[in-house]
Amino acid sequence: MMPSWSSAQHPPGVVPQHPPPASYAYPPNPAFIPVQVRQGFGHYTPPPPPPPAYNMYASNAAQAQASAPGTTTNASPPAPVEQPKGGKTEWPESVRRYVQRSFHPENEDASVSRAELEAKLKDTIGSAKENNSLYTIDWDNMPLPQALVRADREAQLKLHHHAASLSLTTPVYTDDKFNPRKRKSNDFANNDTSTPPWHSTNSGRSLEDRISYSPDKRVALDDPKSSKFQKEANKRKRRFENEYKAANISSPSPTPPTGPIVGTSEVLEKKYLRLTAPPVASNVRPERVLRQTLDLLKKKWRKESNYSYICDQFKSMRQDLTVQRIKNEFTVSVYEIHARIALEKGDIGEYNQCQTQLRSLYAMGLKGNHIEFKAYRILYFIHTANRTGLNDTLADLTAAEKEEKPIKHALDVRSTLALGNYHKFFQLYLDTPNMGAYLMDMFVTRERLAALCNICRGYKPDVKLRFITEELGFESDADAAQFIIDYQGQHLLEDRTEYIAFLTGKAGNLFESSRASAFQKVDIKGQI
Amino acid sequence: MNDLFKGFAKAHAEQNGYLLAATLSPIASSANPQRLRLISKSSNSSSVKGDIKHFIKSNSSHQRNLGHEEVKGWVEVYAAYWNAIGDFVAVEDGKSTWTKVYESWKDLTSALIRGYNNFGFEAWTIPCLYVVGKYLRLFAIRSDTERSRSANDNSGGAALIQDDFDPETEKQSQLRDCEQHLKRIFTLCLNDRAPLEESRKWGIYFIINLLFKTYFKLNSASLSRTILKTLSAYKGDMPALSAFPKSQRVTFKFYEGVLFFLEENYIEAEKYLVEAWELCHKDANANLERILTYLIPCRLLTSHLLPTKAILEPFPRLQKLFLPLAQCIRKGDLRAFDIALQEGEDEFVKRRIYLTLERGRDIALRNLLRKVFIAGGFDELKEGETTPVRRTRVPVAEFRAALCMGSGGELVDTDEVECLLANMIYKDLMKGYIARDRGIVVLSKKGAFPGTGV
Repeated sequence: MMPSWSSAQHPPGVVPQHPPPASYAYPPNPAFIPVQVRQGFGHYTPPPPPPPAYNMYASNAAQAQASAPGTTTNASPPAPVEQPKGGKTEWPESVRRYVQRSFHPENEDASVSRAELEAKLKDTIGSAKENNSLYTIDWDNMPLPQALVRADREAQLKLHHHAASLSLTTPVYTDDKFNPRKRKSNDFANNDTSTPPWHSTNSGRSLEDRISYSPDKRVALDDPKSSKFQKEANKRKRRFENEYKAANISSPSPTPPTGPIVGTSEVLEKKYLRLTAPPVASNVRPERVLRQTLDLLKKKWRKESNYSYICDQFKSMRQDLTVQRIKNEFTVSVYEIHARIALEKGDIGEYNQCQTQLRSLYAMGLKGNHIEFKAYRILYFIHTANRTGLNDTLADLTAAEKEEKPIKHALDVRSTLALGNYHKFFQLYLDTPNMGAYLMDMFVTRERLAALCNICRGYKPDVKLRFITEELGFESDADAAQFIIDYQGQHLLEDRTEYIAFLTGKAGNLFESSRASAFQKVDIKGQI
Repeated sequence: MNDLFKGFAKAHAEQNGYLLAATLSPIASSANPQRLRLISKSSNSSSVKGDIKHFIKSNSSHQRNLGHEEVKGWVEVYAAYWNAIGDFVAVEDGKSTWTKVYESWKDLTSALIRGYNNFGFEAWTIPCLYVVGKYLRLFAIRSDTERSRSANDNSGGAALIQDDFDPETEKQSQLRDCEQHLKRIFTLCLNDRAPLEESRKWGIYFIINLLFKTYFKLNSASLSRTILKTLSAYKGDMPALSAFPKSQRVTFKFYEGVLFFLEENYIEAEKYLVEAWELCHKDANANLERILTYLIPCRLLTSHLLPTKAILEPFPRLQKLFLPLAQCIRKGDLRAFDIALQEGEDEFVKRRIYLTLERGRDIALRNLLRKVFIAGGFDELKEGETTPVRRTRVPVAEFRAALCMGSGGELVDTDEVECLLANMIYKDLMKGYIARDRGIVVLSKKGAFPGTGV
């Protein structure tokens, strides 16, 4: 059950010596398409128009590009449709949701202009109100104004067959609120001759229905003061578009209409970027590619030990697995390896994320090194003094698991600490299986302080320094002496020709405050 | 449906909130087991609002205290109720899901909250909030179990843009959702600025208790603290807890006590649990049992007291849980204690008392060491002394022998024995010090084992 990379195989308790991590940089010739994260607006180049064949199934390429003109549409905040005439009207929750859904960027349709959309929306809700059907209409399943507009057009199309194409392809931007700077993006919007009706294939009412955009946020958008926020939002949006664009060029492919996406990206390395919109298949690597990525990363880790690079890569791998809902033994091994690397580098926050995932993956019955990691989990909760977590972990263990060596070790560590049996605790510390020592190193100092407090109260007038060394698991008398000196105990050490004495009787409450502060809540969020 | 609104009118005439709340119950009364079905059948979705309006008007026409706006609000509430009942009946027939019931009950909750915010519902009607909130929570739990049974539903649209799976959240997503709505009711009660006698503030403890239950079920009891903090910020405006119904007080005290218990603040925990114990109805055995489950471990740590047989008499389950442990602690039998703890582990862990009870071993150890001290007898009387003094210099070897015996013959090495002794001294369970180079323990002449009479 030893980890599969060489650098991790240190004897427990020994702090590993690593070469100083190289600065965080991608290799000069990366295997993936480099993406400029922030691109100035002026440099923005319109994506090439997608091949017309994609129009029919709303390819991701089309989807990504279609959201480009969306930038402009978004620039003018949604006008408050729910404008009460005179008295205050209470709009049903469902109507509000419907309005929000209509303005959701996800549902933007380049072919339906803002003005058209608003007019349609007002019309729909207005007539519902007049008919008193506000509360009876199933707003959640009501077609969006965009769809209604298109339906109207199609009806027209049947009437005037020949004249239709023009009105379909030219978005009408009548809103004069657009500033010239924003207008630029219209230029290519007009070039875009496709009208991707992607929301019709956008797996029904999946995402937009589940995400609730709180009305307050919409109000904030309406607020002219928040233009800075809006600008930021636009910037962010553009950044993602660029990301999509890069991916689309490499491999444009349609998404299956339902279910989790299946990735089509072939690049091995990918920089981690937190998703703020549904993932795009062309930017996600399928399991086959991810397996190669894992091999590559293992090699790189052995060779370069660049943790920030490795961590970033593992995070993007995890993301790709998640969005494709791949939960199998390969998933387990990705999380296990990332957990081990994070442990080794003391990145406790990242480690914790991995172990949380591992817990549920094991619970699904997937094979892996569950004994090893369950033991880590116990040690981790000891470190964070998380009683709830410990209790839950105990509840999870089967009788057979409790007898497995690593778990038994971790459980013994727990109970010796609970009962203050530092003697046994430090014996266990010196004999920790797997990589548990990395975890134990994190709380061994505070336990030493606790034990020292105990000894100072219990023994009089003194003990030999060697006794401290042995009881508290130090490597040498010098280490033990250094520890005492570090906590202002130099005056308690007395050289007596044959041995060094530690004057416990004179310590008083010297170590108590250090002990107390060492036991204060551990910050687990600190990530590297 | 007419009966329903007769009840409605009667409740309004008497301003009886509990009577009104009963009309919103999703449970058929024993007097009328067909109640729900009848209600459900008595209308249809296109005419339900009109029907309800008619019934409210015809039954309450003689009352002037029901304003136009209020009627409008109640129509919404009962329309939502009728809708939810429809789903509820359908579930019983196997034609619907608890998730649907939950969703429609949620609509009812929203309609009711709107009633207070927009249609001027009066404060005496708050028991409606109790009933609606109570069942919202129950339906959320049922919906969650239902979904976990039909496992592996690839719902989780939101999960699609997350970096990692979050199975825990998904498992209880409805209950989490429910928490949001209960919190809305909480705010509704908390923020009412009406004069106290007609304030919704009187609903606050009922709803807090509901929230506590929810948080405990969600395994995030610590969130209850946020509620308590909000509450204490409003303390000045809030009626005193003592003015609330006893049932709400007991529950509140109990949860506050358990909260402290989980935070390892056993002194505070004991205080609240004792209050709950004293307030609790003498026949509410299930609740008394709950309180004792935490009060006993508390007492064990704070004052080293073990439960008597008499107090456990009415609770066979607690006897099984605690009596074996108590016996081992009394006798100072470490080995038997370990076994008893191990045997009860599953139950203890489930009730979150394992980690606390484990520390009872210290008391067992203290009792064992005390026996050694007593067995050591008295020093010879010195000149001028009249009362005999116990031998206070005890060789570590004697303690070691006792420990080896107590651990079932297992050999405990001297360093470990000293370690345990140092612990006893540190925890003030024993007074004295270890003189390591002489291999003896020097115990205090006055009370070597505080609180035990020697």
